[in-house]
Amino acid sequence: MIEVEALTKRYGSTTAVDGLTFTARPGTVTGFLGPNGAGKSTTMRVVVGLERPTSGTATVDGRRYADLPAPLHAVGVMLDARSVHPGRTAYKHLLAMAQTHGLGRARVREVLAQTGLESAAHRRAGTFSLGMGQRLGIAGALLGDPATLVLDEPVNGLDPDGVLWVRRLVRELAAEGRTVLLSSHLMHELALCADRVVIIGRGRLLADASVQEVVDRSERAGTVRVRTSEPELLARELLAAGAQVTPQDGGVLHVRGASVDGVGTAARRCGATVLELGSESGSLEEAYLQLTGGVVEYRTAGTPGGAR
Amino acid sequence: MTTVVPAARAGRRRPHGAPARTGPTLPRVLAAEWTKLTSVRSNVWLALGTVVAVAGTAYGLGMFVRPDDGRSGSWVVTSGFVLAQLGFLVLGTVVGTSEHTTGTARTTFAAVPRRLPVLGAQVLVTAAAALVTAVVALGASYVATADARAGGAPGLDLSVPGASRALLGFVVACVGVALLGLALGALLRRPADALVTGVVLVVVGDQLLAANPGRVTDTVRALLPSSGARLLQDDAALAALDAATRGPQLGTWGGGVVLAVWVLAVLGAAAYRLRWHDVG
Repeated sequence: MIEVEALTKRYGSTTAVDGLTFTARPGTVTGFLGPNGAGKSTTMRVVVGLERPTSGTATVDGRRYADLPAPLHAVGVMLDARSVHPGRTAYKHLLAMAQTHGLGRARVREVLAQTGLESAAHRRAGTFSLGMGQRLGIAGALLGDPATLVLDEPVNGLDPDGVLWVRRLVRELAAEGRTVLLSSHLMHELALCADRVVIIGRGRLLADASVQEVVDRSERAGTVRVRTSEPELLARELLAAGAQVTPQDGGVLHVRGASVDGVGTAARRCGATVLELGSESGSLEEAYLQLTGGVVEYRTAGTPGGAR
Repeated sequence: MTTVVPAARAGRRRPHGAPARTGPTLPRVLAAEWTKLTSVRSNVWLALGTVVAVAGTAYGLGMFVRPDDGRSGSWVVTSGFVLAQLGFLVLGTVVGTSEHTTGTARTTFAAVPRRLPVLGAQVLVTAAAALVTAVVALGASYVATADARAGGAPGLDLSVPGASRALLGFVVACVGVALLGLALGALLRRPADALVTGVVLVVVGDQLLAANPGRVTDTVRALLPSSGARLLQDDAALAALDAATRGPQLGTWGGGVVLAVWVLAVLGAAAYRLRWHDVG
């Protein structure tokens, strides 16, 4: 379990993390989301003791990371795939890690097999592709069979097979009762593998809720979409029933404040022919963009005439 | 929090026959640092290159030594020190900075969050590697200067006062310079900064000051880590050095003490930075 409380981290006059509080619980995959520069990596580095907080606390299983008696067994960490000496082989890299906790060569070979790196074990890490580097990083995180995992962008650079593998892996790890904190920029990936999401922007907490709750917050969630031959007629009927209606092109109406059943019944009442009827669901991506829209640190200028 | 969760189930699950889940100890960190040092091929090449450079220098200089030069037999064998110290400085600097330049620090200090055992282990591992390299280099120098001795250079006579101390001093000074490199690397974290500082302290500073002898410059010279090179001198050479200087008389071991103080002071600063400041 990871508990972050009122965490603040400043570098000179820049505030990277600003009073952040959240908890990543056992048996759960907690997705950690935020625009570039929002403070995700900084938070993760404070959690694993590489940086000290300006104020506030970050604890793992109730202890400061530096006070953990056997850190590799408590927390598996992958912060950056480029945390390996390029001149060292994957095997020796993991062996040196394992030796700090008295783990044997057998365990190193086990995680190499588990991450599909057996054939590359004796190649120097500098020759690895980004995806192989990610696998090596994950192998290092799994080495101590830890109860908590902190993974920064684990699917970055992985091929579709690898993405699927990481998704299954984190689900299994959580199912075994472990705590998984995982950051990613890939929304649909996170929607598929996370139970909860913590969204931050400019170092502050924007949302901490289950994936479903966040999705339901997106504007489109709960809207009924109907296509009809007589849009004006149906719109009048729906407005009279107290719903909000936004007409779209091609005889399509977006209706809020009425259920799918209600819209169907209204259509029958006024005699409009329903050609299509369904409810729209929001997406994590939409909810995320709405939440972080105001706090994006490095916004693109936007393409001329571009949509969105 | 009131929710009951299968908290540490995963953490307590142990593979069959696995030993107790215990954390880092100094011997374990030492084993890890030794693996790290020896698993990077360039470190091995660096040590071999240092041996070749030392023996090559001794061979080259040995050819020009004549019996009436006033050079001793130990000087001929240890004359490769001029280049040797660069090799040892680089070796130490590489160990001290590579954690920070390659990002390995994130892995290392996440595994050993108390951090100081890592620096301690690096000191021991670097000292051991430097010791072995220096002894091999000394042996290679002895072999490389055999021809010179046959041709007129003074023989290695261990009964000359201070001669055996000079050979031992070569090894000690090499280890000291490697540790100074390690300390500078761990403190400054950037190879270029650490190396330039090291070269100035160990080689250039001494040479520049030697060009302007005087009370102040000789005193500063005596207090630079380059004083460690006095360990390589036999009694006669030390007496000559002390007669020439207008700075403090360092005696037999003073030069070694100056080098040791530098190593300890810079290591202390590196330890402070490592312990109290962010890494990675």
